[in-house]
Amino acid sequence: MTKDELTEEESLSGKDYLDPPPVKTFEVRELKKWSFYRAVIAEFIATLLFLYVTVLTVIGFKSQTDINAGGGACASVGLLGISWAFGGMIFILVYCTAGISGGHINPAVTFGLFLASKVSLVRAVSYMVAQCLGATCGVGLVKVFQSTYYNRYGGGANMLSDGYNVGVGVGAEIIGTFVLVYTVFSATDPKRNARDSHIPVLAPLPIGFSVFMVHLATIPITGTGINPARSFGAAVIYNNQKAWDDQWIFWVGPFVGAAIAAFYHQFVLRAGAMKAYGSVRSQLHELHA
Amino acid sequence: MEGKEEDVRVGANKFPERQPIGTSAQSDKDYKEPPPAPLFEPGELASWSFWRAGIAEFIATFLFLYITVLTVMGVKRSPNMCASVGIQGIAWAFGGMIFALVYCTAGISGGHINPAVTFGLFLARKLSLTRAVYYIVMQCLGAICGAGVVKGFQPKQYQALGGGANTIAHGYTKGSGLGAEIIGTFVLVYTVFSATDAKRNARDSHVPILAPLPIGFAVFLVHLATIPITGTGINPARSLGAAIIFNKDNAWDDHWVFWVGPFIGAALAALYHVIVIRAIPFKSRS
Repeated sequence: MTKDELTEEESLSGKDYLDPPPVKTFEVRELKKWSFYRAVIAEFIATLLFLYVTVLTVIGFKSQTDINAGGGACASVGLLGISWAFGGMIFILVYCTAGISGGHINPAVTFGLFLASKVSLVRAVSYMVAQCLGATCGVGLVKVFQSTYYNRYGGGANMLSDGYNVGVGVGAEIIGTFVLVYTVFSATDPKRNARDSHIPVLAPLPIGFSVFMVHLATIPITGTGINPARSFGAAVIYNNQKAWDDQWIFWVGPFVGAAIAAFYHQFVLRAGAMKAYGSVRSQLHELHA
Repeated sequence: MEGKEEDVRVGANKFPERQPIGTSAQSDKDYKEPPPAPLFEPGELASWSFWRAGIAEFIATFLFLYITVLTVMGVKRSPNMCASVGIQGIAWAFGGMIFALVYCTAGISGGHINPAVTFGLFLARKLSLTRAVYYIVMQCLGAICGAGVVKGFQPKQYQALGGGANTIAHGYTKGSGLGAEIIGTFVLVYTVFSATDAKRNARDSHVPILAPLPIGFAVFLVHLATIPITGTGINPARSLGAAIIFNKDNAWDDHWVFWVGPFIGAALAALYHVIVIRAIPFKSRS
């Protein structure tokens, strides 16, 4: 029945792609499948590795350029290297886990996809918890390896920089996350997939690059969060008052940005509302007939 | 025809599938998990593709160390960091070179260029013990020759500037160095597993054009993170080659870290991929 329906729909539309049906918000059958738990584990491991490599790069940068400790300008990978660490790591982790969990590695991405009915509530919450735990463990590893350097050089925590007010910080996080989540939506769009002849090999690369470019732009403002798990993990391990004072910026900003991206992609670019309206009209037509 | 195609698959030997070809038609999946490689495959010693693969690993590792150690020497000898390609340039040299070399040798030998990768794939039954040992020996020899050529270009400077050897930096314990090597190698080998996974291949409609890029990026990223700690080994052949040619006590004192760490990391990655992600043992049972 399902296959027949799909076939009929395909032949009617003449399109080379089919939008997957919305996922039920309260879908719970997936709790009985190993693929669900595997996906959660994959998100945990991916976020752990993400925070480990990126925060280690940040601490390395600060310790190697500390003039008082014998460092020097250009003695580290630089802010450009830090941006590459974040963007490149997202690229390879999305590549590795796309087929397992969808490769979110970011509560904001999960939230955006949840709003677009692409993941269930149970899955969304599970992913977010796994991401936050993974982030905390990843930063914890960095601290274990070099607790002196870690504490001395700010713990890789996100904080609003001097000279910027709260509004600027929130705005930077909103727009930065919009760039990321909008790229995620585009990269995973079935229509985009059809355009690429159904070979999605390149999907992780623009996602990684969008993270890289946002970091280039906003590291001076907030150290660039655009990933609540990343900000949360660093704040927990560093446990500094200012990191906690500013923490809300790194949840409100990304979630607002993700929501805007979800709305923009689903209702403006893909005209979801128009399709819903068309569906209603066709039903009315059937009633008349 | 089948035999020829088989001969050039990643990590494969020239002998045909152990499963009947017809079984693929019975599955609704677009991929088939290759059968575990036997521990010993005496017949592959008689195949040119086996020896060619080892030679390819030798040449790839030779070029890898030549480019990377020469880059390190360039950074070390410059008057200040700002006048050279810098630490990030070193990371790019390592990652970019792996990308290029994996691309070139993936179809010949599987493009390992790293004993830890070979070990991880061996644990996952992707290649035989004979082949694994042969690859590791060729990788180490290639690394020694690569570092040797760099020393040949500038003998005095090479010795004065540390020879690109891996050592644990001041301010870090051996435990920290070991941990950094374990996790760094986990990232790399896990990426290799993902890039070469049969299911992943099917997902990409069997067009694997992107596979070498994330592997190169993984190497680049781990170098960004751990150069301050250990100079980043995550490749025992690389560490051995530089240590042998540099041949100073401080290089040898820490050398065990650069074999134990990577091999543990590779084992963990193999375990994670095979048991958790692909759940292969449980599938075999059911």
